[in-house]
Amino acid sequence: MVGVHHRIDPVKYPFLEESQQIVRKQIDSIEHFLSGFEGREALERAKERVIDALTHRGEFFQEDIPKLLPRIPPERELASYALARILVSCIGDRLLIERLCRYEAQRSVFLLQNEDGRSFPEIRNYIAEKLNIDLEKDDMPVVMYVELISQMRDGRWRLVNRDVRDGRVRLRPEETIDLLRERIRVVLHQKMPLRVPPALCDRIAPIADEIAASYQQQLLEQFGAVEEEAFPPCIGGLIHAITAGTNLPHMARFAITAFLHTIGMSTTEIAEIYARAPDFDPEKTMYQVEHISGRGGTEYTPPSCATMRTFGLCTNRDRLCERVNHPLSYYRIKKSDKKKQR
Amino acid sequence: MRPATLEFLKQRFAEYYRTCYLSPPSSLEQREWGFIFLDASTDVRMRRHMAFSDQRELVDYVRNMVPAHVYYSSAYYRTPAAPTMNDKGWCGADLIFDLDADHIMRGPYAAMLARVKEEAEKLIGMLTDELGFSRRDLSVVFSGGRGYHVHVREIAVRGWSSQERREIVDYVRGTGIDPAVMLAPAGGTPPAGWRRRYLDALREHLMWLRGLERDEAKAHISVLKGVGEKSAANFLDSLDRFIADLRAYRTDDIWRDRTVRAIAAAEIEFENRVRDLGARADEPVTTDIKRLIRMPGSLHGGSGMRVVPLGAGDLAAFDPLVDAVVFGERDVKVEMKAEMTTSLCGNTYALKKGITTVPEALAVFVCCRNVAEIAGEAADGS
Ligand code: SF4
Repeated sequence: MVGVHHRIDPVKYPFLEESQQIVRKQIDSIEHFLSGFEGREALERAKERVIDALTHRGEFFQEDIPKLLPRIPPERELASYALARILVSCIGDRLLIERLCRYEAQRSVFLLQNEDGRSFPEIRNYIAEKLNIDLEKDDMPVVMYVELISQMRDGRWRLVNRDVRDGRVRLRPEETIDLLRERIRVVLHQKMPLRVPPALCDRIAPIADEIAASYQQQLLEQFGAVEEEAFPPCIGGLIHAITAGTNLPHMARFAITAFLHTIGMSTTEIAEIYARAPDFDPEKTMYQVEHISGRGGTEYTPPSCATMRTFGLCTNRDRLCERVNHPLSYYRIKKSDKKKQR
Repeated sequence: MRPATLEFLKQRFAEYYRTCYLSPPSSLEQREWGFIFLDASTDVRMRRHMAFSDQRELVDYVRNMVPAHVYYSSAYYRTPAAPTMNDKGWCGADLIFDLDADHIMRGPYAAMLARVKEEAEKLIGMLTDELGFSRRDLSVVFSGGRGYHVHVREIAVRGWSSQERREIVDYVRGTGIDPAVMLAPAGGTPPAGWRRRYLDALREHLMWLRGLERDEAKAHISVLKGVGEKSAANFLDSLDRFIADLRAYRTDDIWRDRTVRAIAAAEIEFENRVRDLGARADEPVTTDIKRLIRMPGSLHGGSGMRVVPLGAGDLAAFDPLVDAVVFGERDVKVEMKAEMTTSLCGNTYALKKGITTVPEALAVFVCCRNVAEIAGEAADGS
């Protein structure tokens, strides 16, 4: 009998170690690779991956398969996976990195679900094992479970809503696929942003710029032009506090910066808000803003209302607040309400 | 605080630290330390960002400086003495829980202590029986004040960020329960954990409603959103059946009932019932991965009591008002600033305002709590 890994198409699961080995065997100098036709094709495909990650919403369907598995030689397709990760690392935007990881996880799991019925469980278990989780049983240890789901938003995943006994969490069979997708996403996210040599970033800068521009455009489309009047009271209050020169705790600064970044403000624009403080220190501020919106760390999305409340940052709640559980939803609703009024 | 009082406390604390055995936390050299002193000069309340390379160094410092409060970080750092958090190099932290009676109830000290002990027992039960942490990896510490700390030293959770820790503290508190999940028919095995607690709470609540006069019960539930005349009447007619169903943990009919759903969604009394089944650990303490926590074996400067480390199994027999008292029975004259009743070491004292003679242990207690001063010229004879 042939082992399951011989039946796995590496192109569908590019994050697996053996898939990446194929690329490594083919390419010894990335510099050299990128200057040839193959490299250009792979880079083009990498760009496509990132743009797709930015624009794709919701589920994949059968008709997406040709897009997810284009007809280019496997080693180029695999190289494009790595190059896409390099591209977003060079751009260094957390949200963008997050989107790409989510996209790749979703892509692989969708392709997995389209494997034939016999291979599906085998490949699923094989991938799970490679990623250090065990999906073969109908439960898993609490510690593993918590690490797996702590960033999943839906309330049904919260530990408190689970059947927990003797240190194990029960799983329903239909949940394993969601857990695998999340695990892939987390693993893909762990090493990001990659430490890319500056020379390589420079080399691919034109493509990175194209992506960054389209990303800005997309944020604008999603949230539209920034409207300060539609900010939720908590954010408004914090900005007011900055203007008044209050020395804000870290969590507060994080909340504002992450919020403003997510609705599409650039680093400079955010720094301008901080500049309203009487004792504004440009250098320190830029550092902090970039730190929150760009590099390092794991918490990039702005905090939810629950977290805001925990840190005492949920101030001046108003009626709209009762309908939301995230300051971003508040902003979105308020903005569209205002549009309707006009 | 008068100089005489300060001197008295300093001497008593010094005497304690001279002879006590201070058991250091694991990886002492990777912890940050913080101290507050009896005669705290007002500009620096806490001296922190300190580090010790071994137990000897720590003990010497404590004996020389005689601090009022001793803390160390739940976190492990590469450079614990670095002045800013960024430079310290975080490499993990124990999982800790803080149960503080102040956040749970008001009342006499002894009653608060008893109540918070119940919370600690609930917490330990959930951590071990449900979440599967080993009792051996758990230490329970009487805080010396009005609560308990629980330290979980399980290595697998040291690297956890706030997010993962929040899952655990939300679990023990019962925060974020989704009624739809709790009420959904599950079939098969009898429920465990929160589902069981939740359905038990609902049964009790329905029994309470059944005990009311029908009109009163009706009035009570018809204020809920989505409950009309008819559904209220239907609900009240079905109460007996619902209660029997809940006893068997069957929810097939119950979860379709509008009134039940309205109760689950919004009724305050029911919410309180459910919350009471959780352990009221302080959320921010558990999710803070850089917290300073009292050192077991040290003294609490606000009470003079010992911060007592206990095994998870020792909690039941532990009486803080006896077992955390370290000072003696020698007579000491104090001047009470107000009247106060308190018990200590099995005796109850009704102290009036003014000068009175009390055992040394009680004198330390009232002086630390700042409700008395040492009376007379000399603090003591020693
Ligand atoms: S409820 Fe949410 S949006 Fe409203 S003030 Fe509080 S944190 Fe902000």
